[in-house]
Amino acid sequence: MNEETLIGLFLSVIEFGTLLYLAALGELIAEKSGVLNLGVEGMMAMGGVAAFWVGVETGNPWLALLVAIMVGALFASIHGLVAVVLGADQVVSGLALTILGVGVSAFLGKDYVSQAPGARFEALNLGPLNDIPWIGEFIFGQSIIPWLALALGIITWFVLTRTRIGLVLRAVGESASAADSAGSPVVLTRLIAVAIGGALAGMSGAYLTMSLAPGWSEGTTAGRGWIALALVIFGAWKPGRVGVGALLFGGLLALEPRLQTFGVEISPILLSMLPYVLTIAAMIALSIRSRNRPSAAPAALGSTYRREER
Amino acid sequence: MFGFRLQKRETPLPGGQIRAFIVGLLVALLIGALLLLMVDQNPLDIYAKMFSAAFGSSQGISTTLTRAVPLGLAGLAVAVAGSMGLWNIGAEGQIIAGAMGAAWVARLGPDLAGPALIPLMLFAAAIFGGLLAFGPAIARAQLGVNEIITTLMLNEIALRAVRYLVNGPWKDPDSFNFPQAPALPEQSVLPTLFDRASIAVLIAAAVLLVFGVYASRSAWGYELRVAGSSESAAKYAGISLKKKIFTVLVLSGTIAGLGGGLVLMGSSSSPSRLVEGVANGWGFAGIIVAALALMRPSGVAAVAVAFGAVQVGGLRIQTLGVPASVANTLQALILFGALAAAVFTNYKLTRRSAAQAVTA
Repeated sequence: MNEETLIGLFLSVIEFGTLLYLAALGELIAEKSGVLNLGVEGMMAMGGVAAFWVGVETGNPWLALLVAIMVGALFASIHGLVAVVLGADQVVSGLALTILGVGVSAFLGKDYVSQAPGARFEALNLGPLNDIPWIGEFIFGQSIIPWLALALGIITWFVLTRTRIGLVLRAVGESASAADSAGSPVVLTRLIAVAIGGALAGMSGAYLTMSLAPGWSEGTTAGRGWIALALVIFGAWKPGRVGVGALLFGGLLALEPRLQTFGVEISPILLSMLPYVLTIAAMIALSIRSRNRPSAAPAALGSTYRREER
Repeated sequence: MFGFRLQKRETPLPGGQIRAFIVGLLVALLIGALLLLMVDQNPLDIYAKMFSAAFGSSQGISTTLTRAVPLGLAGLAVAVAGSMGLWNIGAEGQIIAGAMGAAWVARLGPDLAGPALIPLMLFAAAIFGGLLAFGPAIARAQLGVNEIITTLMLNEIALRAVRYLVNGPWKDPDSFNFPQAPALPEQSVLPTLFDRASIAVLIAAAVLLVFGVYASRSAWGYELRVAGSSESAAKYAGISLKKKIFTVLVLSGTIAGLGGGLVLMGSSSSPSRLVEGVANGWGFAGIIVAALALMRPSGVAAVAVAFGAVQVGGLRIQTLGVPASVANTLQALILFGALAAAVFTNYKLTRRSAAQAVTA
């Protein structure tokens, strides 16, 4: 094991962490408003194919990212319309969103399979910072996206805990009827939260197809959307903790292809089970610990709100 | 919002769910047609070919029914849990576990005669499916841990378990490095019913029938629905909620696991063998099936056949250069359309001002 492979590992940890964090942060915002969206995998796939397509056609990474964000938000709004406005079951609607997204993206991306990407985000040039040993490479040698993810995490934390908008969002997710009585627009808040969730998942998909694993193929999201869902629970709906979890789970994803290089005799396939095992373990630990305390989950998570039925 | 509001109907529209399904189907066909136009295909032509592939010949019907087997059992698994208000999102993983269990028995006793081997394999499939649901069941019953997420996580774990097996310990040495287990012993493959359909179709139909009758006629099924509709009502009726949650979730896994065994042993492809993609998304589609069937076993059977047909049609048009994912896309679209339409069997859209005048 030499310096180069270690730096490569750390670089990859942050890349995978970014991928997971963007999607998980979006899901966190939706869930904080009381809407469970199991469509993360599908929204990532849609964002991924949209970004790759725009990248190939225009060569402009920023345009590709923007389109992926919009596609993600629009696509998530199907869930918003069906589950929030019409009040259908959130579990069913979200899962259908995943099936739809994976299906439609495969359909639309058919002609782009095994094409070279037209646009990607290059590593930033930060002058002297890049010359610092180690961190100059794996921290300051990243593209702009991980920094954006970090900034979005801080903004999310700030808005959720320190602003009126965040208060309304949390109130809607804890008790929709109470929030409604206080004059907060429940349906609108949830719609916006779901759309933001989709936007971030779309961004995550764009990062995947343009930077992390440039290219498009059916099933390229490979279950990462489910890990993002797990992360929200693992991080107890807190942007900071979810970030730490993202680095941990991202670390596991980064280790997977490198186990052999490090001379570890465990199958990488078995290692890839760990994020899911850890999430189940965390859920059980949390529920034992919080037996006499309120759960960390938003109280209204998963329930439909209809004014006349309160 | 927007001057409209949903107002609850005093009585739901009669036949609402069938109407909703038809609306969903129409919505799906319409949006699907737009997608097909985008890739320069004639939608009417494609749909006609899909329909005739699924129902136009005895061979087509046998393939449709074969695909309806895992869809129906996964749908039933979800519906059994769903009738109590529980979500088993893990049917996909339980199908994998069931197939692994069946394959494992075949490895242990490859020389057993068919009449002994087949029941043993199916039994193991059911047990393995139940085992995968065991953890979420006990965590939900005893600790209140959300079963949606635990069963979801176990899908990914089961997928990696089978990937590990067919890439490693169970890999067929004669498979030219292709990740697959050796072919099942010939006597373990289910006997043919007609064309490509095996007796798996009969077994699945029997299971659905038994549950359909049992769930609607027995005290057990009644308790299930009571517990599903109101926790406090269940308590007053002296129903042990914890025990019920546990048994229902494990039972649900057992049904899906059996589906996995039937997929492995009754598939139309020959030879039958365990591969990574054994569950093929059927567990997830089963959730849509159950939702469209409103968690009723009779409805599950009908929707499963319809979805089987969509999948067979999807395979057919793949040969015409249309991506097979159009089948999954149509399934999800049917559900979205039906979900939206179903709302209107219980609610009606009214102008806000009119509604307020009524309540005033």
